[in-house]
Amino acid sequence: MGFDKDKEQAKFKWLRCNQGFMLTLILITLLVYLELSPWVHKEVRDGFTLGFFPVLAVVLLIIFSLILLIDSHRKEIPGDVKTFTLKPFLGGVLMVIATWFYFAVMRKVGFLIITPVYLMFFIYLLGLKSWRTCAISALIMTVVVYGAFTAIGIRLPPGILSGILPF
Amino acid sequence: MFQPEAMLEAFRLFFTLEVFYWLAIGVTVGVGVGAIPGLSASTAIAIMLPFTFTMPVAPALGLLIGLYKGSVFGGSISAISFATPGTSEAAATVYDGYKLMKKGQGRKAVEMALYASVSADAASDLVTICVAPPLAMVALRFGPSERFWLVVAAFTLIGTLSGRHLAKGLISASLGIFLATIGSDPVSAVSRMTFGIWWLSGGIPFIPLMIGLFAMSTMLKEGINLLRESEIAEKVKASIVDGLLKSGVGLTFKEYLRCWKEMLIGFSIGSFVGFLPGLGSTVGAFLSYGVAKQASPEKKIGEGVLEGVAAAEAGNNATVGPTLIPLLAFGIPGSVAAAMIGAALMLQGATPSPRMFKLYPEIVYALFMILLVGNVFNLGIGRIFGRFYARLGLLPKPLLVPLVFMMATIGSFAYRGNHYDVMLALIFGLMGYGMIVLDIPTAPLVISFLITPMMEANLRRALIISRGEWIQALFGSPLSIGLVVATAVLIFLSLRLKASERMRG
Repeated sequence: MGFDKDKEQAKFKWLRCNQGFMLTLILITLLVYLELSPWVHKEVRDGFTLGFFPVLAVVLLIIFSLILLIDSHRKEIPGDVKTFTLKPFLGGVLMVIATWFYFAVMRKVGFLIITPVYLMFFIYLLGLKSWRTCAISALIMTVVVYGAFTAIGIRLPPGILSGILPF
Repeated sequence: MFQPEAMLEAFRLFFTLEVFYWLAIGVTVGVGVGAIPGLSASTAIAIMLPFTFTMPVAPALGLLIGLYKGSVFGGSISAISFATPGTSEAAATVYDGYKLMKKGQGRKAVEMALYASVSADAASDLVTICVAPPLAMVALRFGPSERFWLVVAAFTLIGTLSGRHLAKGLISASLGIFLATIGSDPVSAVSRMTFGIWWLSGGIPFIPLMIGLFAMSTMLKEGINLLRESEIAEKVKASIVDGLLKSGVGLTFKEYLRCWKEMLIGFSIGSFVGFLPGLGSTVGAFLSYGVAKQASPEKKIGEGVLEGVAAAEAGNNATVGPTLIPLLAFGIPGSVAAAMIGAALMLQGATPSPRMFKLYPEIVYALFMILLVGNVFNLGIGRIFGRFYARLGLLPKPLLVPLVFMMATIGSFAYRGNHYDVMLALIFGLMGYGMIVLDIPTAPLVISFLITPMMEANLRRALIISRGEWIQALFGSPLSIGLVVATAVLIFLSLRLKASERMRG
């Protein structure tokens, strides 16, 4: 188990130093710069080129990335990179995707229906391994948030309950 | 000139049960709205503005000023409790506030935010009352060139907000500049950097960026840590009931007094920024935070100390009164919220103009009274809300993380009713998490994102005025030269601070 974790961490060794990270950043900024090039020299009415400030930002990014390659902190490994493993990180990405999915469904089905389901699964996933507690907590949180928004006059998506809800 | 008859009339307008009632309602709703991510002071005022149509002028002003004061403070409550700034001006409060909450000192932090807000707000209200017309004259002398240098001075604080690793702070600031240039160029409104995505033509809105970078990234980190814990079969021990019953230790008077210097910095900077139209309370909060950090490096602001909360909160609330100065003296609103208060005054038949003090002195005096008494209401109502929220922040992480995710999602949506804002908040959440992992500070990104459009627009306007003459545009007035000198001093102090930090190791 521990061996697997070590192996997994070794995969990200290239990320564990600033040089690797900064090189990646330089490549990304260069790519963005190229992406910008078709319109970047277009002159606007006041004589400025449209791309002056965006290019300035990219140039600054490249300069500071290069500084980071040679500065005294370059061999430091940031605290959270030391413990970085892929599986929990993918769990985090899943949380973001699930939240987007929740939002998309909420607009169709309604806040009051989908929110308790979303919260219940989310709470369970994060370690509260009692479905009953998860369900009760999810329901309370949904009702409190709905009540707070309704009280200040903001209507959350009613979805299929639009004809039934009084607010 | 002081008019005693008008003052008596103002007393008659102000001392009614109706004014106190609407002031209380305003502060209560304001604190509640401010604490909800995505909803700002201007949202709170916009929601309640229709209520004022049928009210007499003093209760209407009571409601609106209450909303304004309450929501600016309210933003700090969720910033401290959930690392989710309710309003953009509370973003600087997250750095120390949430760390204090994690140390179990959430109640102390919320109370510090409240007392710093009320102290600085009351002091700046007195400034507003005493020197409104002369200050407004100074504000009007700030042209594009002077504003440009003021923004450049704000950029020098990035060094202070960068933490130990300056290059990473500068990378963060450059990223902020880069993101701020997405959308339309601020002078000719030509679309740029949209990568062919139509909904980016309006630029990246600040609220989803802030919700993503602060709330979602922090909760993502907490969530990933929880997943890691459950991966190694560690049971979640936190109890929900225990979390809700713990009230934590409150702030002592000694601790409040200890932060006098930071509150003074916040009050001075916030008042100054407040009376300059367009800069806003977010800039006030970040500037105060940065200067306070620079002024007292030994206090370790940024590592979860009360002084950081005091500086940021004093800085944002001190803008509330002064932002009304240009409105009252010249009819020019200094912020969106001030514009809405101006609209309410117009509906009451008192159109804000340079003759406001002459034509409606009783309304101006009544407004001053409401500004001052509003602080007392803010203090009382804020304490009740603060205690409740400080307890919510102690909820077990498996409950807190989904709750904040859900609130952040609907908060991003409620801001403009635009689903792309939710998408942006989630993207910035991932980006913010990446920045946390790689130890890149987020404060320089936020401040440069906020001030880059102002810098670009003012520089270009100054050049248009001087017909392309750079020297004339940048150094054309004594005020500009004074600001250049101030900027140079700030850069020098910043470099000296970094050098002494390095010496200390």
